[in-house]
Amino acid sequence: MKQSSLSITDLRDVMRTLPDNGLTPAREAALAHLDEHGLPTLRDEDWKYTDLSQVIDISNRWLNAAGDKRAPNPQGSHIESIISSIDATWLVISNGSVDGRSSEGITGSGIEISRFSDAPSPFVMERPLADLNAALLQDGLRIRVTGRVEKPVGVLVIDRAGSSAGVSQSCVEVDVTPGASVELIEYHSSDGNEDHYANSVLSLAIGANAKVKHVRIQNRSLKHVQTGRTSVALGRNAELRMASYDLGGGLIRIDVDIDLSEPGSVVVFDGLYLAGDGQHIDNHTCVDHYVGPATSTQEYRGVLSGKCRCVWNGKAIVHKGADGTDASQANHNLLLSEKAEIDAKPELEIYAEDVKCSHGTTVGQLDESALFYLRSRGLSRSHATQVLTHAFAADIVLRAPVAAARDAITGLVETRLAELIESDFVADLQS
Amino acid sequence: MLEIQNLKTRIGDSEILRGLSLSVNAGEVHAIMGPNGSGKSTLAQVVAGHADYEVTAGTVTYNGKNLLELEPEERAREGIFLGFQYPVEIPGVNNAYLLKAAVNAKRKHQGLGEVDAFEFLKLAREKMTTLGMDPKFLNRGVNEGFSGGEKKRNEILQMAMLEPSLAILDETDSGLDIDALKAVAEGVNALRSPDRAIILVTHYQRLLDYIEPDQVHVLSEGRIVRSGDKSLALELEERGYDWLREAASA
Repeated sequence: MKQSSLSITDLRDVMRTLPDNGLTPAREAALAHLDEHGLPTLRDEDWKYTDLSQVIDISNRWLNAAGDKRAPNPQGSHIESIISSIDATWLVISNGSVDGRSSEGITGSGIEISRFSDAPSPFVMERPLADLNAALLQDGLRIRVTGRVEKPVGVLVIDRAGSSAGVSQSCVEVDVTPGASVELIEYHSSDGNEDHYANSVLSLAIGANAKVKHVRIQNRSLKHVQTGRTSVALGRNAELRMASYDLGGGLIRIDVDIDLSEPGSVVVFDGLYLAGDGQHIDNHTCVDHYVGPATSTQEYRGVLSGKCRCVWNGKAIVHKGADGTDASQANHNLLLSEKAEIDAKPELEIYAEDVKCSHGTTVGQLDESALFYLRSRGLSRSHATQVLTHAFAADIVLRAPVAAARDAITGLVETRLAELIESDFVADLQS
Repeated sequence: MLEIQNLKTRIGDSEILRGLSLSVNAGEVHAIMGPNGSGKSTLAQVVAGHADYEVTAGTVTYNGKNLLELEPEERAREGIFLGFQYPVEIPGVNNAYLLKAAVNAKRKHQGLGEVDAFEFLKLAREKMTTLGMDPKFLNRGVNEGFSGGEKKRNEILQMAMLEPSLAILDETDSGLDIDALKAVAEGVNALRSPDRAIILVTHYQRLLDYIEPDQVHVLSEGRIVRSGDKSLALELEERGYDWLREAASA
């Protein structure tokens, strides 16, 4: 039977089976927060396009099996194929468990890797689903960057669904101390036939004059569900360049919160989502400009085919006194099918004087004159479609801030686009 | 090579070609002239296979095949090339990529293997130099930010690389300065051969000073109202089109 919410009693029972590694007080506090606030519903403005009933359904089935921990380990070959595709120092979180081998031999010049259980801290992230994450977290990964780290650091969050519904939590905290710099790769992947719900949190604190480049690649099984929250705070004159690539997943909801409380900070972030039949990909971003001058620039692009739905909601709040803010938001969507749906919503709230803010959203189809031009040169309709769709996505791929990940991203995007275009052609032929 | 009989086409509610007949043989250069709105560009687009134009009557046969049954890409692979009046800007699609993809699509159709990338680029650079194009344009987006003259030269470059059997150049001369016009004309003349045909759609006689046509046709209100040799173009230059329109409706 489907339930409309999570059972706190069942959650507590499962929580008590987690390892007693010093995180219990934080778990208890998080559960109390979840009990009080519940999960977001379609009545919440920020959640009106994304129905979490699938999350509740999978979680309850998992809870009823008392938090089945028999989920198989992700296949070594799957992990190997991912980490060998990008030259980075890799840390692995598989089925919610921080891989024992992860931190070995990494701690060194300018970087320290530890687990939350090494120095437990109280629960503070009082945000939707971050409470669920903290309540059920086995252990978290903490990365402290104290110098200029040359080799990118990758975190692979990988899940393998077992013979029954599965749920996993991952949490990564990155602390970049003043003047330090690092390139981060966050890679989400999953496989297996059963239902799986993964919930992730990344918390990124960037100190004064520090520089971070970050890419998030999400290439989960098309059957699986993921919610994720990226929460960033930037110090004075700090800089963040970030890009996200959502290629897989059945239901995906990603929240990005960026807090600009110190002057001189710069945030540039991009996103690309590629969705086909049955996929729902929701990107919600929120930039809080508390002081100026500071700059935030975001551009998300989406390619939608088949019967799918995507959401982009980009919010920028320029708080009172944040003079000298420069905030821009752009969202462009290419619809390859008539059944695809996009909800694109820029939101600007400005309470300061002397600010420069802009937003723009477009939704369109392939340019017929460009298609004809390419076909008149001998390219088939599907080849021409592919070429134009790639061109649309290419800017976001080329702007991937972590150069080491660019080839892998290009390959993933090309593969996914080819699948989306192919499936639309089959649908066209059948209709 | 190309045989058009009593062709009628419409776009939306308006009939544009109203019973056009034209026969072009291999080795010939034909010029199609006529006032604005007479259907010159429509003819070019219909032969290339643009879907916006509905053919309501008539036949178009190309090397014995019913051209109207072929998709635009099939026509291209069979050797038809349309030089666009307004070449489309396609940001993000590399010019060299398009050239290579176009040539390979045709080669595949002919049962040949893909071109050698190195030889291909070398050849493209040579042709560009002849056309007065900076080889850097190979790495730009297709027509992206090109001036009018650069776009037209780019069309001629594509034509030169594709070596079509039938080239239709739609007002390739419009908006060109004299140097660009000469470069384009040289590109076209270089392609002239006994097994190729070229159709020049043009508004002015000027282009025909550089590319000598075998036949000149005047299109008016969707029909060819007069055909002749190159002297007809000179006559048009002197007398304009009105006398022909009057003659046609008389």
